[in-house]
Amino acid sequence: MAGRAAAERIRRAIALVNSVADEAGDEEITPTEIAEAIRDCLELGEVDDVPNVRRYLGEALDAVSDGMPADFVAMTLYAALGALREGSH
Amino acid sequence: MPTSHRVHPLPGGARLVLESMPERHSTSVVLMFAGGSRLEDDRLGGVSHFIEHLYFKGTRRRPSSKEIADAIEGVGGFINASTDKELTAYWARVPSEHMGLGLDVLFDIVANSKLDPEDVEKERMVILDELRMYQDQQQELVQNLFEELVWPGHPLGRDIAGTEASVSRLTRDDILEYADAHYRLPNMVVGAAGSLDVEETIDLVARGLSLHADADGAGSAAAPLPLESPRVLVRRRDTEQAHVCLGARALSYMDPDRYALDLLNTVLGEGMSSRLFLNIRERLGLAYDVHSFTQKHRDTGYIGMYIGVEPKKASDAVNAAIAELRGLGETEVSNEELTRAKEFTKGRLRLELETTNGVAFWLTYQQLLLGAIKTIDEELALVDAVSAEDVQRVAKQVLSGPLQMAVVGPFPRDSAFRLAIGA
Repeated sequence: MAGRAAAERIRRAIALVNSVADEAGDEEITPTEIAEAIRDCLELGEVDDVPNVRRYLGEALDAVSDGMPADFVAMTLYAALGALREGSH
Repeated sequence: MPTSHRVHPLPGGARLVLESMPERHSTSVVLMFAGGSRLEDDRLGGVSHFIEHLYFKGTRRRPSSKEIADAIEGVGGFINASTDKELTAYWARVPSEHMGLGLDVLFDIVANSKLDPEDVEKERMVILDELRMYQDQQQELVQNLFEELVWPGHPLGRDIAGTEASVSRLTRDDILEYADAHYRLPNMVVGAAGSLDVEETIDLVARGLSLHADADGAGSAAAPLPLESPRVLVRRRDTEQAHVCLGARALSYMDPDRYALDLLNTVLGEGMSSRLFLNIRERLGLAYDVHSFTQKHRDTGYIGMYIGVEPKKASDAVNAAIAELRGLGETEVSNEELTRAKEFTKGRLRLELETTNGVAFWLTYQQLLLGAIKTIDEELALVDAVSAEDVQRVAKQVLSGPLQMAVVGPFPRDSAFRLAIGA
């Protein structure tokens, strides 16, 4: 799959967001940690290889900054992951 | 299965279409009127649907809804009506020997309804409840919002039942005036299918005609304006599931390519062997309910996709669905897939025409809206004639227009959805 490293990092960010959404984590995850995980994704050049991946990640980052619900941030990250999947076909 | 029909002109410009199906025990009769909600301006939104409801409240000979129902149910029959965007239909299915009764009741309700002021007010409350009920049915709501996007500011984009504001405002005089203008013989086709005697049926129908014979000249329907750009409409609701409807303008029922569009739709999202089902539900596990559908009118139409999906996966599922639609424009469907779609489409049409009601509606609809009737064999041949190249050409044509998307779910903003369709 194209963008394997990016996919890996996006999954990590999704896991963080999901644990907030599901209130499943033992320790509290802060928006700063989630934003950091998304920035890690954006640092990879391969997010530019597939259309819209960078833009979805940017939207997700904005959503975290604006205090949007975790499910909404997760949806935007899933869209980025899906775009990578479609881009690999 | 219908094999031969007959079209008989009636006095006053009405028409009768008949299909004798002597092996059946039932006969179905339909009175179909051109019109429907597309002819209503904003002020009169919902009046056609309101009239259809009121016509079951009582006539001079059958003063209450109970007497109307009793007349048909007393012989084991069914009676009902429906309002669409371009037509309104009243129908009855009865044991064959009671066809005269079925016709008599239908002609009675469309020509002699009392339209009591008290009934108007009671029915207004019922319709307002119906409209509120649709607001709570998310799948219904999202399709209505999608149609608002596909036909913005046009009666086709409005709910057939109107809006709470328009239904609240309609007066009894509005209703009487509209019914008088549209329930006229030149606007009507009568359909009958089942075990019937042709000459007797012609005679019974001719004797039932008491509506005005002359056309009122009520305005014809304006075509919707072209769509300029993709648009997204998100209605925020705290639902467990997200409901998404997206698609594009497509073809009218007058377009010769409509058969190719139907096959495109079948390949894309009809049934459990469609691409949407296999890829989005089975392969990616993104959605429980995913399918596609078309709507066709005289001068316009659309192809839409519905996705019922966990909110977190909504945007991903939307992208995957768009990829499936785009794929049909990029590559020809395989022979195997096209053949399967043709057999599906032909089989569904044949099953639809198993009942006398199905045949009566099919013939009447064609005569009223298309002005001519194709036999089942002609229709099946047109489906068979579609090539993979035709399907791809139509897919490209559909995709050349801007995508529209309506979403109902717990979404505080629409940015991810706009990104998906470039809005």
